[in-house]
Amino acid sequence: MAKYAFLFIDDGVDYQGSPTPEQQKVYADIFKWFETNGPKITDGGAELQPTRTATTIRTRGDKRVVVDGPFIEAKESVGGFTIFELPSKDEAVALAKTWPGYGVEIRPIREA
Amino acid sequence: MATYVLMFVNDESFRDRSKDEVAEVYADITRWSEDLERKGVLKGGVELQPTRTATTVRRVNGTMRVSDGPFVESKEHVGGFAMIEVPDLDEAIRIAKAFPGGVEVRPIVVH
Repeated sequence: MAKYAFLFIDDGVDYQGSPTPEQQKVYADIFKWFETNGPKITDGGAELQPTRTATTIRTRGDKRVVVDGPFIEAKESVGGFTIFELPSKDEAVALAKTWPGYGVEIRPIREA
Repeated sequence: MATYVLMFVNDESFRDRSKDEVAEVYADITRWSEDLERKGVLKGGVELQPTRTATTVRRVNGTMRVSDGPFVESKEHVGGFAMIEVPDLDEAIRIAKAFPGGVEVRPIVVH
C-alpha cells in the first residue's frame, strides 16, 4: 500500500457562486464519491476557496514579498486535495477516473 | 479561528542546489513545522514527490483521459501542503513568510 495525494483540479467553475443545475449535480456526485471512497482516505485534506482568495508569498532577492492571487495564473488550478492509501498507482488512476469533477493530479507522497 | 491551506511552491532552482544546501532548507522547514506544532497551529501536512511522478486524469469531451505529468507544466509547482488554524489571514501570511520558500495561502471551504 502507498499513499497518494489527489490534487483536485478546478477548471474555473465557481461552485460557491451561483452554479447551474448541472454543476450542482456534479457537486452532489462529488459528495457521494467521498462517501463511497471514505475508507481509502487517510487524510481528508481540504476544499480550497477559489484562487481569487489566494495570497502568495515569494522570495525576491533577500526580501519576502506578499502578492494577491495564486502562484500560477492559469485556467486550471488546485481546488482541493485528499490523501488516499491504495495498493498501486494503477488503482490510483482507476479511482481518479471515477472522479465526478473535472480532473485530478495524482502524486505519491514523500513519507518522512 | 479559521483554517488555511499553505501550498508550498517548488521551483527548479532547488535541483541545482548542493546536498548540503538542500539539507539546510529541510532543517529550516523542520524547525518551522515543529514550532507550529508546539503552538498547536499545524493541523497536518504532506510532502509530494516530484512532478515527474505525477499522473493527471482530466475530463475531455466527457471522457476521463490519463496523461503523464502534472496538470500544468510550469517552472513552479505544488510541492506540498500544510493546514493551519489561525485567527485570521494576517496571521496565516505571517506564518507563510517564515517558511523558507514560496507559499500560496488559501482559505478552505467550510461545509
